Amino acid sequence: MDHDRAGLLVYDRLSTKKLPEHTELIEGGVSGLNLLCFLENAATVVFVDTVSGFTDPGGVVVLTQHQIETASHPLHYGHDAGVAYLLAMMPQVCEMPLPRNIFLVGLEGQCSKKTINSAATLALSIIESKIQKGLVKAQVD
Amino acid sequence: MPQIIKGLNIPVNRVEGDLEIRVDVTDHRIDDAWSSGTMFRGFESMMEGRGALDGLVITPRICGICSLTHLSAAVKALDTIVGVTPPDNAIRLRNIALMAEIIQSDMRQTILMYMADFTNTQAYQSHPLFKEAMDRYQMLKGTSVLDVIRKTKRLIEVIAIIGGQWPHTSFMVPGGVTSIPDTPKLMQCHVIIDQFRNWYESRVLGCTIERWQAVTSLKELDNWLDESPKHQNSEVGFFLRFARKAGLDTLGTGTDTFISFGNFPFPQNTDVVPLNQSNGDACPEKGHNRLLTTPGFAKGIISQNLDAARITEDVSASWFDQKECALHPFDGNTKPYASGNTGEKYSWVKAPRYDGLPAETGPLAEMIMDKNPLFHDLVRQKGATALIRQLARITRPAMLLPAMGIWLNEVIAHRAEPFYTSVKTIPDGQGAGMLQAARGALGHWVKIKNRKISHYQIITPTAWNGSPRDEGMNRGPWEEALKGVVLKDLENPVEAGHVIRSFDPCMVCAVHTLKKDGGTGKRFHTGWTF
Repeated sequence: MDHDRAGLLVYDRLSTKKLPEHTELIEGGVSGLNLLCFLENAATVVFVDTVSGFTDPGGVVVLTQHQIETASHPLHYGHDAGVAYLLAMMPQVCEMPLPRNIFLVGLEGQCSKKTINSAATLALSIIESKIQKGLVKAQVD
Repeated sequence: MPQIIKGLNIPVNRVEGDLEIRVDVTDHRIDDAWSSGTMFRGFESMMEGRGALDGLVITPRICGICSLTHLSAAVKALDTIVGVTPPDNAIRLRNIALMAEIIQSDMRQTILMYMADFTNTQAYQSHPLFKEAMDRYQMLKGTSVLDVIRKTKRLIEVIAIIGGQWPHTSFMVPGGVTSIPDTPKLMQCHVIIDQFRNWYESRVLGCTIERWQAVTSLKELDNWLDESPKHQNSEVGFFLRFARKAGLDTLGTGTDTFISFGNFPFPQNTDVVPLNQSNGDACPEKGHNRLLTTPGFAKGIISQNLDAARITEDVSASWFDQKECALHPFDGNTKPYASGNTGEKYSWVKAPRYDGLPAETGPLAEMIMDKNPLFHDLVRQKGATALIRQLARITRPAMLLPAMGIWLNEVIAHRAEPFYTSVKTIPDGQGAGMLQAARGALGHWVKIKNRKISHYQIITPTAWNGSPRDEGMNRGPWEEALKGVVLKDLENPVEAGHVIRSFDPCMVCAVHTLKKDGGTGKRFHTGWTF
C-alpha cells in the first residue's frame, strides 16, 4: 500500500467513526494554501499526512506545532506547499483566534492497514483528549 | 577557446518537484535545452473502467491549484456526450467559480513565485530596486506576499459558497450545478468580489480596470507608467520597472505559435460581451455559442479558428508505449514504457501538437486570440518574451473581473430560474471538455461504453508548454524559449528561471510530504535560491 493515498485512507477510516461533538472532519487533499481558512476559529487542529525521516517505515508519529515548524524550512511557496508552509503563514494572514493546539499525525513510508488504523486511532485520541478544551478540527491531507 | 558545458542540470524545483531542465551551454549562452517530467502519474489509466461520473470526483485531484478547472473540463465532456446545454444560471455559476480559481492562481503565481525571483540576492543585490523588491516579495514576510495571500484566501470563499463544499467540491454535474446559493450568500459573493476588485485596482494595477484597458500599445504602456506614482508603485508598475532593468524584455521568446481553447461559455441572456468582439459574430443571437475568451491557434499574432481534430499527442521522446508516434487524444492511450538508455525518450510528459506544431498556451495566448491591442503591439515589437508573458498573467484579472461581476448580478436577478436540467443517465458516446485553465489549454477526451469510462485522455497546459521533442525533433515551447538565454552565473541561473516561470509550470501538485531537514517536497534542492 503506497503512502500517496495514506491521508485519504485515514479519512475514510475516520468517516466511519463517531466523532466527538464540535469536531469537523475535512479532506484536505491537495489544497495546500487553500486550507488556511480552516485554521481560523478552531481551538485544536489535527493534521494527518505522510512524513519522511521521522520514524521507521510503517510507523506513525505525532508531531507538535513546534516540531513541524522546526523540522523543515518552508521558505518559498510552491505547488507542493504543505503543512509546514501553511503553519509558517498562518499567524500573519489568518484571522484570530488561531488554534491553541496543532498536531500532525504522520505516517512514514509504505502504509499497511495496521498503520492506517493506528493513525486514525491516534488522531481520534488526540481529539478526544482535547475536546474538553474547545473546538476541534481534524484535517486529513 | 569557448567554454562548452554539455548537459548542465538546471534545478527548477522551487517551482516544481517533478521537472528537470537540462541545457547545453557555450560561453554562458544556452545552445539547447531538454525539459523532462520525471514522474508518471497515470490518472488516465486510473479512469478506465470506472463509472461514467467518476471523472467529476477523481480528476480535480490532479491539481490542488486548478482542481475546479479539471472539474469543469470533466463536466463539459459529459455535457457533450449527453447533448445537454445547462441552464443560464448554471453556466453563470460555473463561470464565476472558475474565474475565482483562475484569478487567485494568477495573483499567487505572480507575487509568490515569479516576483520571488527578484529577491535573489546573488543576482540582484546591485539592482537599483532590489531593496524594494525585498520589502515586497521576501519569503514569508514581504508586504505583497502577505497581502496577496490574505486577499486570495478571501476570494476562494466564492468557490466555497457556490460549490456548497470546500475543498474538493463537485458541484458541477452534467446538466448544470447541484444547487444555487440563497440570496444572502450571493450577496456575500458580491461583497467579496467587489472588495477583491478594489484591492486589485488599487494595489495591483494602481488604476481602474477601465484605465488599464485603455492602454493599447507599447507607447501607451510607457505613458501609463510615467503618468502617476500610483502606476509606478503598483505591482504591475513595479514589475515593469524591475523586469525591464533586469532584461526580461529581451529573453524567453518561444516557438511563436500559440493555442487557446477559449473559455467561459455565455448564457443565452447576458450583458457580458466577448473580449474579442468578433467572437460570436457567426451566431450573434445565440448566446450559448459564444465564449468570453476566444479559441484559436496563432502564428505570431495571426490567428485562425481552432480545429480540435488537428490536435495530437506525440510520444517520440516520451516514455509511453503507443502504436503510432502521434495520435489524436480520442485515439491515443497512456501506457507507461521506460525504454532504457537509448537517449531518445526523456520525459513522462507527452508532446501535444497542433497541426504537427508545438504551441505555447496561457494568458498571452488568450490575449493574442482575443486580439488585445496592447499585447498584439508588444508581441509585434518585442516578441513573446518572458516579460510580456508574465504581464499577460498579472493583468488577466482585469479582463475577467468585469464579466464576473455582471454574471453574479444576473444570477441574483434571475435566482428563481433553473440551475439544472435533469440528466438521468450518461449514454454511450464520446465528448471533449476543452477550456482555458489558469495555465492555458486543458482538455479531457472521454469515451463512455456501457455506462463506464472506456477511454480518458487529458492534455494539460504544461504538457503544451513543457513538452519534449516530437518526431520531427521540434522542441517544446519552453525548450525553445531557453535557447539563446545568457546565464551570467552558471551556479545561479536566474535567467532560466525567469523564462520557465513565465510559463507558470505545473507538472504535478499532488504529493505533499513533510520531510525532516529538507523542506516540503520530495525532490527539494535545499540551498537553491533562484
